[in-house]
Amino acid sequence: MKEILNLRVRRIEQTISTDDIIPGRYKHMYTDAKELAKHVFENAIPGFAVTLQERDVICCSDTFGIGSSREQAVSSLLAAGVIAVIAPSFGRIFFRNAWNLGLIALEIPSPSFAEKETVNLDLIKGEIAGNSETINFQPPPEKMLEMVEQGGLLAMLEKRLATKPTIILSN
Amino acid sequence: MNSPFVEEVIAKHADRDSIHEGELVTARVDRVYLQDGNSPTISKLFKKHGFSDVFDQEHVGVFFDHSVLSPDKHIAARLREAEEFAESLGVQVFRAGEGISHVVALEQGWYEPGTIVIGSDSHTCTGGATQCLALGMGASDCAAAMVTGETWLKVPGTVWLDIKGRPAASARARDVVMHVLAELGQYPFMYKSIEWVGPWAEDLSLDSCASVANLGVEMGAKCSFLPQGKDRPNGMVSLHKPEDGDPRLHRFNIEGLPPMISKPNSPGNSVPLDECAGLKINYVFIGTCTNGRLEDIAEAASVLAQGKVRQKVHCLVTPGSQKVYLEALEKGYIATLMRAGAIISPPGCSACLGTQGSIPASGDRVLSTMNRNFLGRMGNPEAEIFLASPLVAAHTAIKGEIPNSTELVS
Repeated sequence: MKEILNLRVRRIEQTISTDDIIPGRYKHMYTDAKELAKHVFENAIPGFAVTLQERDVICCSDTFGIGSSREQAVSSLLAAGVIAVIAPSFGRIFFRNAWNLGLIALEIPSPSFAEKETVNLDLIKGEIAGNSETINFQPPPEKMLEMVEQGGLLAMLEKRLATKPTIILSN
Repeated sequence: MNSPFVEEVIAKHADRDSIHEGELVTARVDRVYLQDGNSPTISKLFKKHGFSDVFDQEHVGVFFDHSVLSPDKHIAARLREAEEFAESLGVQVFRAGEGISHVVALEQGWYEPGTIVIGSDSHTCTGGATQCLALGMGASDCAAAMVTGETWLKVPGTVWLDIKGRPAASARARDVVMHVLAELGQYPFMYKSIEWVGPWAEDLSLDSCASVANLGVEMGAKCSFLPQGKDRPNGMVSLHKPEDGDPRLHRFNIEGLPPMISKPNSPGNSVPLDECAGLKINYVFIGTCTNGRLEDIAEAASVLAQGKVRQKVHCLVTPGSQKVYLEALEKGYIATLMRAGAIISPPGCSACLGTQGSIPASGDRVLSTMNRNFLGRMGNPEAEIFLASPLVAAHTAIKGEIPNSTELVS
């Protein structure tokens, strides 16, 4: 999990809101992420959804995921095959949702990898390497990595509750 | 100086004496509320992970606001799932027609000063109006907080906005926020806690405070706090800015600031109103968690008392809550609006996000009082959306085009 090889870069050259990722109406229509995945970027980048595949990493030139709290912006990307997003900055709620669901979100000031370039990601070393360049970043905190490893926030909580007879505040 | 306000609130909820920017902490939450659009997903998450109880039924609520008049069978089915879920948990239910969560939460005291509230909607930050650390979060975070009564938080840095002077008579609270956003962009506010200080922020009505706090998320902030002031709830405190020269302190002199307008497709794309004067508009929408409170409806009515909605302009007015609607009825605002040719829809999120009518037609140009105009926000990417205050919106409805700021002064 912590070292992920052979990711395919998909470039996006604009600010992306969560409305751009998945238009509001669809999240009120469907709870199935696979259904939502068909509509990702439908308004902002028509035709992009069908070109996404397993192990894609979105490399965005500007802020990614500003706006609404919809977690479906993350679940629909995961269902479309995206496993990581790198961008100079993220919408706060999108960033939380991403780690909570196991989508890797990394803040990298000016990622310049080319469209369809193959990159390798090492979350422990804090390194993303392609043909053109190698970028170092602050590795995510242990807590975030643990969440991803355990299958997300709620899977982690489920395990925690199973080992405790009652809910006790952790502090 | 004192600690930033957000640090005091988080420290208190994490049983710590003090706390610092960037720390990851576990904090107790006082309340959690959901909206109808995310409840079906949260319900699914509860089933998947075997959760069936919440930490406190009195302090968890589900608001039915996003799809009040369900527009199709898919959304109708999701609403039934949400209703069933709320009933199975035994939590507080705010039925369709009671109003927008963030408007009702303020009316009902769900945003107690100094408390932490988690909401499944990004505009939960409206709670900053009464110094509640109210945070919009996604479905998994909300589910976790509902079950455990706690959440993980990264302590944000704080930015102070010290506002001096008075805007023009035709400029409203949202115009000041849009001016700041247009000047500085989102960058200084990303993930930050904003504290508004200075006489302008202290003198705002509570409705206007809600409007300012609500737009915090459009600034990129985690939360946005208003200071203690007249006619605000007990328990609010004064906010203390740092010394002059501190890079976290931004000063603005808004003396004579004109009304602003946000052009497509971002709230940050704001310019003085006059730059867009004369543009034809054929759909005006007044309402939402930003500007759907009583003072907003009153303002729209006072303008539309002096004119009629122009032919071929679709003018939709949505009171933010049942309370707002009833008070507007009693004061005669609703009758005035209807006689002028406006359509009044039931309280809720209405046309803000394309989940219910009216969806604009391709080629429509909309002037709305909502908070964001992202491409396709109202359900059609081929419509243009401009954002402005209810004052500007009501004049636009009469004129059929964006007015000049001099026309707004009666």
